[in-house]
Amino acid sequence: MKGGKGSRRSGGTDRGGIRKRGGPTRVDRDGDMDMDAAGGGARGRGKRARGDSGRPSGPRAPAVDAIQKAISGNTTTSQVNIRQGGKGSNLEQVSIRGWKQSKAASNRDGGHESLVTFLEKKINAPDSKASSRARISKSRIEGDTLIVSIRPDLLDRILHLNGFSFAGAPLTVEKFDAMMDHPTISDIAQNGSSSSAADTKAKLSAILAKRYFQDAKLLNLSALGTDPDLMAMGMFNTTSTESKFFPALMKIWEMNFTNSVTKREAVKSVSLADNQLANISVVTTLAQTFPDLENLDLSRNDFKDAQALIAWRWKFRNLEFLDLTGNPFSADPSFKDTMLKWYPKLRILNNTEVRTAEELAAQKKTPIPVQPPYFQDQSQIAENFVRAFFAGYDTNRSDLLNSFYDHNSTFSLNVNATAPRAQQTETAGWDSYIKKSRNLLKINHLPARMSRAYQGVEKIRELWNSLPATRHPDIAAHPEEWLIECHPMPGLPDPTGQSATGVGGLLIQVHGKFEEMSTGKVELRSFDRTFIVGPGSGAGGIRVNSDILCLRAYGGHEAWAVETPPVPQPMPQAVPPVPPVPQVPGVQAPTQLVAPPATPAGYGIPAPGKPDAQVQQEQLVMQMSAKTNMTLQYSEMALSGNGWNVEAALKNFEELKGQGQLPPDAFLPGTV
Amino acid sequence: MGPPSDDVLTKVSTDAATEFVQSFYPALQKNRAAIASFYSQPTSTILFNGNVVADGNAVQDIFVNQMPPTHYEVQSFDCQIINQAYPTPTPTGTKAPNETTVKDMSILVIVSGYVRFGESRDMPQRGFSETFVLVPNPAAEGGKGKQVKEWLIYTQNFRLVV
Repeated sequence: MKGGKGSRRSGGTDRGGIRKRGGPTRVDRDGDMDMDAAGGGARGRGKRARGDSGRPSGPRAPAVDAIQKAISGNTTTSQVNIRQGGKGSNLEQVSIRGWKQSKAASNRDGGHESLVTFLEKKINAPDSKASSRARISKSRIEGDTLIVSIRPDLLDRILHLNGFSFAGAPLTVEKFDAMMDHPTISDIAQNGSSSSAADTKAKLSAILAKRYFQDAKLLNLSALGTDPDLMAMGMFNTTSTESKFFPALMKIWEMNFTNSVTKREAVKSVSLADNQLANISVVTTLAQTFPDLENLDLSRNDFKDAQALIAWRWKFRNLEFLDLTGNPFSADPSFKDTMLKWYPKLRILNNTEVRTAEELAAQKKTPIPVQPPYFQDQSQIAENFVRAFFAGYDTNRSDLLNSFYDHNSTFSLNVNATAPRAQQTETAGWDSYIKKSRNLLKINHLPARMSRAYQGVEKIRELWNSLPATRHPDIAAHPEEWLIECHPMPGLPDPTGQSATGVGGLLIQVHGKFEEMSTGKVELRSFDRTFIVGPGSGAGGIRVNSDILCLRAYGGHEAWAVETPPVPQPMPQAVPPVPPVPQVPGVQAPTQLVAPPATPAGYGIPAPGKPDAQVQQEQLVMQMSAKTNMTLQYSEMALSGNGWNVEAALKNFEELKGQGQLPPDAFLPGTV
Repeated sequence: MGPPSDDVLTKVSTDAATEFVQSFYPALQKNRAAIASFYSQPTSTILFNGNVVADGNAVQDIFVNQMPPTHYEVQSFDCQIINQAYPTPTPTGTKAPNETTVKDMSILVIVSGYVRFGESRDMPQRGFSETFVLVPNPAAEGGKGKQVKEWLIYTQNFRLVV
């Protein structure tokens, strides 16, 4: 600890802080975290440390109960489901702690999977047959705790693992009792409307309001230990309240939001400076509440090494600014490299630039350049179909089926439950889909493969009616959120039976997102959906031959935003979002995976092996450049941003120029 | 002989898709010289992130010459039969009706997973979605040994989606 700390926190204020000592933790009879179980007093925080270790396990502080009641009085649906899942299926719940200190905690999933595997192995006798092996039916993570659901007959075996070592760390295994655990785990049976609960909740809400700066999107949680309001609440009088306070605060924050998008947008910056934190155990839920944080101030705490922050190893994937000044870890020779490795978007570390914008851009580049959608429609058949389909799927699936599907149309869906995500937002469960999912990696038995494929209007209707209601974004209003590609496809079955060689149709691939409305909450998900449509007797003379849907966690739409040549910062506004989809066919993407060189000889001139489409584009770029005096790069950006429509690009250029939004280096030297 | 039953059709198509997924992605990682052998001749449209690629040989060229070490992880896939009576081309034209078998079908395959470009495990996992149409390999008939693939790529569309 820094020597200055004592003097800064002079007088009675040294009670506070939301810190927790490092090392293994134990849980006392109350289920309260006992901070001083190991290494007590080693850090010498004076009488406070000693006082803790001798703390009698008396009645829990009223504040904690109040928090728990406050939260349970406003239980969110997802929690209700979790609890009911545990009870309804007659499973016992067991909590496992201590694994966050293990080596496995640095795994991408925080060690979740290997811990579950470890536990399953240990609760099985070595000679047990594969068919009768005990399994952990369900598990979830809350803060530092893994909560598993198991058959009642396995309870003793798993409790026996208490104290076992997992990847170098001793585990604490206990029967899980929601009442005794983190306040984030509410007990729905609890009467949450008591006045003291409401009072505590109101006080914490007021504290959050006081510390939230809406314009700056900043939540300032620094120096909580010296907050007079928190001290007045007795929040730091015992380690028990201390450890539960932060998760409770996060929960109350989350209660302000029903919509995940608003929640994500509300805060970009959080400060946890001056909190005497030696590791992040107590505040680890920050990453669940603010997964998309861009700026994080952890300065003037007591983090000694990377291990103190390990639980955030795979969190905060969008972090750009991180301040750890005033922590011993900052002096570690590996500090900068480790942080760069952990946070791929990190630009400023301890107020120093550690990654340039160019380096970030280079990192994003893929070996296969991202081109605008390939869209080879025929008489706008695919365009009209896609528009009609997603509008109909949201509003009237039955009519939609009658319009485009017949007794030979096929549909199936598969859930990719482990897909990469755009944000670290928690993904809603897949309960509504998983029993219908035909992921052939997992569905191996023929009868299941057969029963999960749906042929004909009626079978598909029955399935669709059982799926949650959806809302897809409007294609015209939000074209950038969609990627729609299409090309002709021969060899489809002829519904009239006349052609033995089959008929021609279109293969349409759609990637996008939708909102799902279920039980009062809105969930955001991404999907990939491929259709094959051919001539038929449906609306517009077509029928759906095949419809195959993949569902996955929300993954954003950045991945298909067209890559632009690297340009100096700041990014110009010359490129409006991706052109409207479906775009004008006729200009095809280049047929090679090599981007055109920046200052090229032979630019715009046909050459052997050079595709016509590329020559065409290069010529358009030169025209644009000649008319605007912009560089080739900017001309190309303006064109590609306007669907290669010269008129639209020129209009866009005039607007931006008029508004003075084009940087000087957008123009050819000597023309400004 | 009557039309094949649903269980035969499901078995043939899902086995084909499984075999394909389990051999194609490993080849992209470790056996790039064999990539072209996965494609029919001729192929229809082949797309990678919106870039048109001419045929299987061109795909192989790109992977051999331009792609860094690449790790694919298939996390989910599914398939459907597009046409139960696919007109498999043969050197002598289309088969007569009495020459066709249950395997004369075309299959739609959709794959979801992630890809990591570069050798380091710290490189980001990029989500991809890929759609294939598989058709029978005319050369596979008559049991010419295991080397000949039964199913070939007719169309392919790869897209990074995360």
